[in-house]
Amino acid sequence: MITFDHVTKRYPGSNEAITNVSFSIEQGELVYVTGHSGAGKSTLLKLIAAIERPTNGTVLINNQNVSKLKATSLPYIRRMFGLVFQDHKLLYDRNCYHNVALPLAIHGITGIDAAKRIRAALDKVGLLNKEKAMPITLSGGEQQRLAIARAVVCRPSILIADEPTGNLDRNYASDILQLFTAFKQVGVTVVIATHDALGQSNSESQTNYQNKVLHLNQGKLINSEAMV
Amino acid sequence: MKGWLIQHAQVFKQVLSRFSQHKLNTLLICLSIGVTLALPSILYMVLNNLNALVSDVKSESHLSVFLTVGHDETAVQTIKTALENNAMVKSFYYVNKEDALKQLLESNNNNEAISALDGNPLPDAFFVEPKNLDSESISTLKNQLSSMDAIEEVIVDSAWITRLNYLLTLGKKAMFILTGLLGFALIAVIGNTIRMQVLTQRDEIELSQLIGATKSFIRRPFLYAGALYGLTGGVLALTISWLVILFFNQTVKQIALNYHVDFSLNFMSFSLAVTTLAISTAIGWLASYVSISLPKNQA
Repeated sequence: MITFDHVTKRYPGSNEAITNVSFSIEQGELVYVTGHSGAGKSTLLKLIAAIERPTNGTVLINNQNVSKLKATSLPYIRRMFGLVFQDHKLLYDRNCYHNVALPLAIHGITGIDAAKRIRAALDKVGLLNKEKAMPITLSGGEQQRLAIARAVVCRPSILIADEPTGNLDRNYASDILQLFTAFKQVGVTVVIATHDALGQSNSESQTNYQNKVLHLNQGKLINSEAMV
Repeated sequence: MKGWLIQHAQVFKQVLSRFSQHKLNTLLICLSIGVTLALPSILYMVLNNLNALVSDVKSESHLSVFLTVGHDETAVQTIKTALENNAMVKSFYYVNKEDALKQLLESNNNNEAISALDGNPLPDAFFVEPKNLDSESISTLKNQLSSMDAIEEVIVDSAWITRLNYLLTLGKKAMFILTGLLGFALIAVIGNTIRMQVLTQRDEIELSQLIGATKSFIRRPFLYAGALYGLTGGVLALTISWLVILFFNQTVKQIALNYHVDFSLNFMSFSLAVTTLAISTAIGWLASYVSISLPKNQA
């Protein structure tokens, strides 16, 4: 589904954020991207989500080479992904319902169909009773869950989350990891970047699936072994 | 197709709700557009009405040829033949001084003053209607006639109209320049407003780009907003100029009555009003397009 072949990413005026990385992710896998802060986790996720293009090497998403795509077709490949951002990127000028409605509008889904999907997504993350609340009034964990609802409302085939448990306490974090595991179980490919080992061990203890780990160190892939 | 329509209707609704969230701002912007557009349209209507009035009068213009006092009948005959043979003359008629006095007595209320005069002070006269109404051929004809014997004076009744016509042409040119300049001002005003909106919606734009919104999806609400500003401004401009014309007409009618003319300023034609709205909408759209295409605001 996603194949990286000797991928290098260098931002203008800085060192290589990702150096010569090769791996592949199959459909329905749950993959952790780990490493210290600054190891290139976010860059890797951006490369997967076709937000950044590689400086060298090829990124294949569903057998499409991201580097060779025209700028006008990039939006369409991005729609395959559900993104949970490190900083949530919630819109504070509208309520929870309308935050979740935005990706649907981009996909051209509006009206009753959209309303059903929005409520289903909010229900899945346990925020159905907060649909009229403004995001600023939500707790950190609730905001994170709202961001997840927004990411999954379009039923993406790949869910990408950057530090979804970053500054949450243990209980919230395990709640959210359970959510991701649930998506994996219905066949969604899930890629999670995390700097703490807690997330992995937590989910490991709750599931019997093998989860792949991509461990990055200063932009280099240290191992891509399946964790048992 | 239906989905496409729904999408556009959705954007329209979204823009309207944004407008209603910032009622005062929207009102001020639309009002400034309206006032800016009202200026040239009022000027146009006044000029247009004057122009219609002038061309009405112009078609009646003629030369008054006054004969010297104490000429003989043969001189009158000579002039008559000359006029008949002149290719520049369309038609003419002769009024001798007795008829002229009679006409004056009929049309004037102040008969006592006239009858107090001893004798008839009026000269015999020819009234000539020229074939061509342009000033050059009229002045040639005038020169030809003045050089003849027994002709005291030739007065071109339409001379002032020609001059007024030139002034009106000048006024029209000024109006076009004013319209052009104000058009640029409008583009600047609307463009700046849209730029502010892009800035306040920066987060939404960035997020939409990240999750797969196309360029046109992101631009659409801003283009709609620009066009809507233009359209509302155009409607306001028409309303303002209509009110101004109504206000003017109170006085214009009184002046016209004094001249025994039935004249009042007409509002612009329906098709022109629609054109004005179309132009103002187009200006709004264009301003918005320019604004969101500037590299710094690129939406």
